[in-house]
Amino acid sequence: MALGWPSDPDDLFVNADGSPVRIDKAFSWEYPLSVHGLMHNVITNAWRGDPYKIDTLLLFMANMAWNSSMNTSEVRKMLVDKEEDGEYKIPFIVVCDAFHSETTAFADLILPDTTYLERHDVMSMLDRPISEFDGPVDSVRIPVVPPTGECKPFQEVLIELGTRLKLPAFVNSEGQRKYRDYPDFIVNWETAPGSGIGFLSGWRGKGGEKSIRGEPNPNQWEMYAKNNCVYHHALPRSYQFMRNWNKGYLEWSQRSGITRYAEPILIHLYSEVLQKFRLAAQGKSISRQPPAHLAKRVETYFDPLPFYYEPLESQTSDKHKYPLSALTQRPMAMYHSWDSQNAWLRQIHAYNYLYVNARTAKNAGIADGDWIWVESQWGKVRCMARYSESLEPGTVWTWNAVGKAAGAWNLAPDANESQQGFLLNHVISEELPPQADGKRFSNSDPVTGQAAWYDVRVRIYKADENEPEQASPQFEPMKKYPGMSERPNWLTYLGGSKRNGGAR
Amino acid sequence: MTQLALVIDLNVCVGCHACVTSCKEWNTSGSAGPLFDQRPYDANPTGTFFNRVQTFEMGKYPNSETLHFPKSCLHCEDPPCVPVCPTGASYKRKEDGIVLVDYDKCIGCKYCSWACPYGAREFDEKQKVMKKCTLCVDRIYDQSLAEIDRKPACVKACPTSARLFGDIHDPESEVSLAIREDGGYALMPEWGTHPANHYLPRRKTKLKIHKDELERADNPLKVDGQLPKPSKGDSSMDDVSAW
Repeated sequence: MALGWPSDPDDLFVNADGSPVRIDKAFSWEYPLSVHGLMHNVITNAWRGDPYKIDTLLLFMANMAWNSSMNTSEVRKMLVDKEEDGEYKIPFIVVCDAFHSETTAFADLILPDTTYLERHDVMSMLDRPISEFDGPVDSVRIPVVPPTGECKPFQEVLIELGTRLKLPAFVNSEGQRKYRDYPDFIVNWETAPGSGIGFLSGWRGKGGEKSIRGEPNPNQWEMYAKNNCVYHHALPRSYQFMRNWNKGYLEWSQRSGITRYAEPILIHLYSEVLQKFRLAAQGKSISRQPPAHLAKRVETYFDPLPFYYEPLESQTSDKHKYPLSALTQRPMAMYHSWDSQNAWLRQIHAYNYLYVNARTAKNAGIADGDWIWVESQWGKVRCMARYSESLEPGTVWTWNAVGKAAGAWNLAPDANESQQGFLLNHVISEELPPQADGKRFSNSDPVTGQAAWYDVRVRIYKADENEPEQASPQFEPMKKYPGMSERPNWLTYLGGSKRNGGAR
Repeated sequence: MTQLALVIDLNVCVGCHACVTSCKEWNTSGSAGPLFDQRPYDANPTGTFFNRVQTFEMGKYPNSETLHFPKSCLHCEDPPCVPVCPTGASYKRKEDGIVLVDYDKCIGCKYCSWACPYGAREFDEKQKVMKKCTLCVDRIYDQSLAEIDRKPACVKACPTSARLFGDIHDPESEVSLAIREDGGYALMPEWGTHPANHYLPRRKTKLKIHKDELERADNPLKVDGQLPKPSKGDSSMDDVSAW
């Protein structure tokens, strides 16, 4: 299958001794069903050399020196930390970004990415398609403007790398290049040779006469372009409802290669998958079994029936000292916006407050709008408090990823995002406290490896009157790179005409 | 006589700001544009928006709620911004009731923004003229657009369909029906401005569960299952029917 859906200990991606193969330890005994990977541990693992050291770290589509990392302040130190012999612990860092993000400051090599108007993209049936209620829908993007300067779509970089490294998906049996470029890859790649299942479900088959499943069609991009970049496979009305046990739908979906089985899809209150891992941990299986030091962990959390336990981080927190839970959420106005330095969006949210129940704040002697410290067992940030009545008294929250480092994203070093805006990430750890043997687990769900962003416990207190009214921590302001544009004092966007197009 | 207007359902608005940005996107490039941004990438950015969403909380925890309140020109039937204008730049169209500003006549004296009790006017610090919502007048009559697209940009963008658009003087229009049937109200009626735009109020959805619904009264285990079991020899319809 195209994506990893382990359902059995034998599906894990581990060495003979049970140790992880992947740098993030995904699909290992520590986080067996981690289908999303553990991106939040890659830098820490590479820095520590556990499970191994790496020579090159390639980052894209994530701002790992800022809001995409937990424990941001420490992670930034890891990116520049050195061995005793003076060599960097992570020797070579490549960052692909379309913007002047915080992470680019840590790059040995920056690959300037394209924005979505400058490149081909697919919203694929294999990864969160945009389907409608009446049937599957997928879509593509086709460039409307040429890339700026030497920008290159990162997909092209990946395909080129895969080809030069002769990874099996990208070369034929003679070791020769299989795909010319990204559009060619999208059209011709199949989940297995001859499977007829690829990234796009529309206009498959040699002449575009098939859908969902069919041979690659050399003119697939053109056919999407002619159809407003969207393929919509409307199902017969009788297939549209109760699909988890709609026999017609299930048989159609099996024959179309969407599902492997045509049996009714039922929610498993008792999970056979979890039980298989538990039996392995108990030494009662014929499958692969976990290393001794992880057996207890797997046996505990792979309970085939749902059970409650206090979040792992809370279990290791002093709840008298840190009585509050702290959460973040993404503002709706910026939800799908990678570039929240956007001139319009930053007028909607230029900085963030920590929202605190008014009673909780008053008890701590904090007035609405006061500068406060938010402290966890891992670190502290200074920010402004905002009273809220829509929040239960034991929880505080703030917007995620509004705060930025000074000078990043080509914003002025004194822009609100860095001076009043803040990241809660500095007080959230990517790892749990050390075990008795000194080893540390990721601050993640032990079954799925899902990052425990919401488990941190904090306390809040008023900042001293002598302290600056400024978010903390602050970092040395980022500098412009050669060729970066000056910030205009006025901006006007005019669309619809070439003469007036773009920013002035 | 036609009076075009928006009806905004506060029970449905989730405060996503899609109306704010789509409004600016359309209007900065349209006949009412451009809409400038000042200090776009520096401290304290500001700019012209025809539509803004204000979010505020009401009540005390736990009996509190968060309200997202989209605000734009209400296209009053008796607009106080029009008579105060010394140059006639501010005017109300007879044919559809839209209140507009003629930038060529506007001298930027701001009388209209002082007169407007709703704070709906936006002074453009670059062009030194007053700007405001036009109900996308350059869009709603555009015959080159499909009929479904001849609506204000904010209405088209709203993912929860919280914004309705139409003629409030046509008693059978969607907006008149909404005002009449769903408790539509005008803002600050005491000012006598007769705003054309209306809002639909927050409505509490109450789940009524009767005590006897919490337990299945017809649970067969508790009704028929309690009766004595007939012995296998007893007669039943099975013996005679052709089921």
